[in-house]
Amino acid sequence: MATYGMALDYKNCINCKACEVACKEENGIELGAEKHRIWVGGNEPDGIWPLLNAASAAFMPSQCQHCEEAPCEEVCPTHATYYDDNGVVRVDPDKCILCSYCMNACPYDARFVDSRTMTVDKCNFCSNTRLARGETTTACQNTCPTKVRIFGDLDDPNSEISVLLRTREHFTLKTHLGTKPKLFYVM
Amino acid sequence: MEQTVKKFNIKELRLKDVKEFIASIPYNKITIKDLLSFEKTTTNKIIAGTIVLFLGLFVIGVLMYLLHGHHAYNVTREHPWGLLIAVYIFFVVSSTGLCIVGSLGDVFGFKDYMLISKRAIFGSIVTIMAGFAVIAFEIGHPVTMLIYNVISPGLTSAIWWMGTLYGLYLTFMIIEFIFLLKNDMKSARTFGLIGLLVGLAAHSNLGGVFGFLNARTISNGVFYPTYFILTAFITGIFIAFIMMGFRYKLNFTKEVQTMLSNLAKIQGLLISILIFFVTWKMLTDIYGGMENRSEVAIHILGSWTFWVEVILAMVIPLYLILKSKGQDTKKLFFASLSGMVGIFFMRYNLVHDTQLKPLQMMKKELYQLPPEWVHYFPSAAEIMISLGGLGICLALYYVGTKLFNLDSDTHH
Repeated sequence: MATYGMALDYKNCINCKACEVACKEENGIELGAEKHRIWVGGNEPDGIWPLLNAASAAFMPSQCQHCEEAPCEEVCPTHATYYDDNGVVRVDPDKCILCSYCMNACPYDARFVDSRTMTVDKCNFCSNTRLARGETTTACQNTCPTKVRIFGDLDDPNSEISVLLRTREHFTLKTHLGTKPKLFYVM
Repeated sequence: MEQTVKKFNIKELRLKDVKEFIASIPYNKITIKDLLSFEKTTTNKIIAGTIVLFLGLFVIGVLMYLLHGHHAYNVTREHPWGLLIAVYIFFVVSSTGLCIVGSLGDVFGFKDYMLISKRAIFGSIVTIMAGFAVIAFEIGHPVTMLIYNVISPGLTSAIWWMGTLYGLYLTFMIIEFIFLLKNDMKSARTFGLIGLLVGLAAHSNLGGVFGFLNARTISNGVFYPTYFILTAFITGIFIAFIMMGFRYKLNFTKEVQTMLSNLAKIQGLLISILIFFVTWKMLTDIYGGMENRSEVAIHILGSWTFWVEVILAMVIPLYLILKSKGQDTKKLFFASLSGMVGIFFMRYNLVHDTQLKPLQMMKKELYQLPPEWVHYFPSAAEIMISLGGLGICLALYYVGTKLFNLDSDTHH
């Protein structure tokens, strides 16, 4: 029993997209731009050449926020979306009826349809793959060359993520919606 | 036709009684020949041809879905709900509306409206069945839904409540209709009242499906659950005009004329309230320039589909009602046809507008173009299944007019 979360030192991201490739490879995600569990977002820099605002052009890796109050879990009519013992928001494909309500309710665009099973898929912190094999890192974290991602147990005060969140300022996305995300962006 | 009146008492229910009860439901024995023996006017032939065409399109659409699954639809990650959801809403709104109109007479005891009770309740059954026929091909796993809806109910989900309550509602509507056929008005009133309450609960939950979407500021809030009930009543009155118009070929008897002009007056009030609702919804959406909400509202105001909804479902019917003070029922029949087209656009707009605004997760490279608005246009399969739903609805209604006496017995 743990409470898994992830911190993202997003200013270190170089947009190499190795995390996206590692996620697809490790978890057997379908090919195609629409089928992604995680992604690297990017802003166009503000301003007009040569007066560009470099700070505005940061890359922003993202994925399912594994909310404590997940709208996708609340709206699921069959409990196909559920919290596992580690607080990870997961989908049971056997129960998913593909009503797509969760896709509409998720504020983070983190869900998509797996056209092989015709059920909704999303990030599960590699729970079926790496964590099930006893590993302690996710594929995206393991492959990141600039160590953007730090995955770990928020309940353990000595875990790397807990120490990081105690010592560095951080924010979450769309906090005003009350979803209590467990994906933290460190500044 | 002789009709048996038998009191229903659940305490003394036995299998034999159930069989006897079912056997005593009055209906006309019909053959295929009877179904084909309609008055061969040009209008009737066109309508019959259209129904057959729509049913054919339904079969083709379903075959395309069975061959290609959801790939046959133009729904995407950004726009997961498409035309079929809008059409399902269109049918269930029609059903709830007809249930309200039908209840005026047999539940609330307004005698003038008894004329239409049986027909409206039958209409509510066929419209919701058409809705279920359409949604069965939108839900990815309808059989899984039937199982896990029961053994793993998501009680915090508006979809669960909506689906479950609509299932119950259909049951109560069928029971009410049977009692109406048997002329057992007391039992019809009891089941009608329960059915109406369950239907209203189901329908406001359907509004809640959109109202609970915190992520979509344009839909989030109390508006849709209440607006759905109002627009259901409006839809019910439009369909009442259409059904009675066809039944009496626009030569209304005095009683029907009185009932329809009374309904028209109610409709005038309801459409006025609707215009008031929509105006304030737009004003509050735009006011203050709240991020995501105001720009979506302004975009909606600039879309032609919104104005089709306003003109066909609100302006034309209200103008004609006010102009004749609700007396010109023939014109109002045509206004109701216009109204139903407008109501269809109302449902389509509701579903599409909810998903207009991308969720802005900075996915500007590779995944999608810099997001402005999410685009969607239904695929051929979606259009065929939707038209097929209308074909099913009209075909079932036509069979019903042959199979049952849908006129009020006192009137007939």
